[in-house]
Amino acid sequence: MRILASIVVIAIVAVGIGVWIIRGPGPLDFAGGTKVALGDYSAGKPAGVPAKLEKASLVERGEYLAKAADCMVCHTKPGEKDYAGGLAFKLPFGTLYSTNITPDKDTGIGNYSDQDFLNAVQRGKRHDGARLYPAMPYTSYTYMNDEDVLAVKAYLFSLPAVRAKAPDNTLSFPFNQRWAMIFWSAVFNPDTRFAPDTSKSPEWNRGAYLAEALAHCGECHTPRNLGFALDNRKKFAGAITAGWHAFNISSDKATGLGNWSDEDLISYLSVGHAPGHGSASGPMGEAVDHSFSQFAPEDIRSIVAYLRSVPPQSSPDLPATTAPVAPSSHKDGVTADARGKKVFASACASCHGWSGESPVSPMATLTGTWAVNDPAATNVAQIVISGTIRHTPDGALSMPAFGNAYSDDEIAAVANYVTARFGTKGSKLTAKDVAELREQTAE
Amino acid sequence: MATTLTINGETKSFDAPPDMPLLWVLRDILGMTGTKFGCGIAQCGACTVHVDGRAVRSCVLPIGTVANRAITTIEHVGSTPSGAKVQKAWLEAEVIQCGYCQSGQIMSAAALLAATPNPDDADIDAAMAGNICRCGTYVRIREAIKLAASGRQS
Repeated sequence: MRILASIVVIAIVAVGIGVWIIRGPGPLDFAGGTKVALGDYSAGKPAGVPAKLEKASLVERGEYLAKAADCMVCHTKPGEKDYAGGLAFKLPFGTLYSTNITPDKDTGIGNYSDQDFLNAVQRGKRHDGARLYPAMPYTSYTYMNDEDVLAVKAYLFSLPAVRAKAPDNTLSFPFNQRWAMIFWSAVFNPDTRFAPDTSKSPEWNRGAYLAEALAHCGECHTPRNLGFALDNRKKFAGAITAGWHAFNISSDKATGLGNWSDEDLISYLSVGHAPGHGSASGPMGEAVDHSFSQFAPEDIRSIVAYLRSVPPQSSPDLPATTAPVAPSSHKDGVTADARGKKVFASACASCHGWSGESPVSPMATLTGTWAVNDPAATNVAQIVISGTIRHTPDGALSMPAFGNAYSDDEIAAVANYVTARFGTKGSKLTAKDVAELREQTAE
Repeated sequence: MATTLTINGETKSFDAPPDMPLLWVLRDILGMTGTKFGCGIAQCGACTVHVDGRAVRSCVLPIGTVANRAITTIEHVGSTPSGAKVQKAWLEAEVIQCGYCQSGQIMSAAALLAATPNPDDADIDAAMAGNICRCGTYVRIREAIKLAASGRQS
């Protein structure tokens, strides 16, 4: 009996230690200062809306916060009604579909009480008690205060109700066992509200609230642990998400944001482009279009102040410096991949130039971007497949999608040529790699 | 929205949104139909024009990005030294068959010669690969570019 009890105790302790090790620190633990409850913090106002919207209606404040939390991108299927859900998330173990969050009573969230909505956003618990999968970033939204969550609800309830039922998820066993998410949630969802850090400036605290609770930067930019939750030991060190490389946004000078000027960061977040750093595309392009570009300038500055404070994490898969401008003649520089060069000459050179500095627009300049300096060429291949569009104050600039015009072989060849010519180390993509990348982003 | 562009040395003002492609402005607003619409996705080269002397595809080029830059089209390229040489060589080598792609071919060839006065085959491949010819006049295009570069035209 005593032996059995000891075994049980040892097992419980072992599981506890294991869980504690896997879970790691919380997203704001790096700051280390004294935390106080939001209500007890008087130095600034980390939560809520910027000053210009202070007097706005609840719905308007909710709109700002819903955009800051970027609800729409995931809850809208391209070409369908806003917030009506149905966007597919392709995962290694099946496909998840986002839900309709318009106020339709049958297929949306029209029957949600305030408490139901808080439970969903902060705790990952559905109206009917079922658990949400963490594709819904409630482990980030849990840091939002109740007032802000309910403002978002008021905004969503002000929208037209759309009748639209998302397709059923096609997850395989054991991932189709929703109830099991109770345990995941118990371990990985802190279920706690944002607590300001008194050792930091009010600007930092606002930035921390925006970046962690609303913009959920870490959901793409922080690598995941064994339990598919964020591994904050490597906070913002970069990760592959939805088939794209979300690059290192820690303060590391070589491979993170440490050498970006404040103006560069402000420009990248507010218009999706910074000179010499390239343009946001893929999921980050969407985040800029629908979320960051709508932020008040002081909120962008707060996020920048916060990002600067995140401890450096180096990315060993990236070179220490990005490559300089390539020679202006096609004859100089790398010519290893003849097939890739041929594709580049016919499809790419007229906009991107042979030097990588675009004759058309600085937004199309390849020199200095992480995409071409990433020896895995993930984002180069993705942008060739799916194209991109950047909306700026001077109008929209787009790159066509070449996914249907070129074979996997040709896309691999041109990606290998582009990374070799404009980056520090050429990639070695194969047609199979390109096929897999297509699979990860296919709708 | 009122926009002003410098096209063929002249200042042109018109009403168009900044994200309208330059090709639409040229053909539909200004009536300059020498530049052709081919694929609309920068894959065939028929719409090639010069921006600051470099060959670019006007079908994907929003006018918001080319304000204050010198735009040259097929209507005017004959008054540039390399454009004049190319057009003359084109006639001499009788390059053209149906002609639809040829405005773009000439614009790409003129930009090539302006930057590389004596191009070899690899230079021609690199500069002309983005211009497609359904009639297959590629051999005569190459011949005419070499003729224009040689200065041996009659």
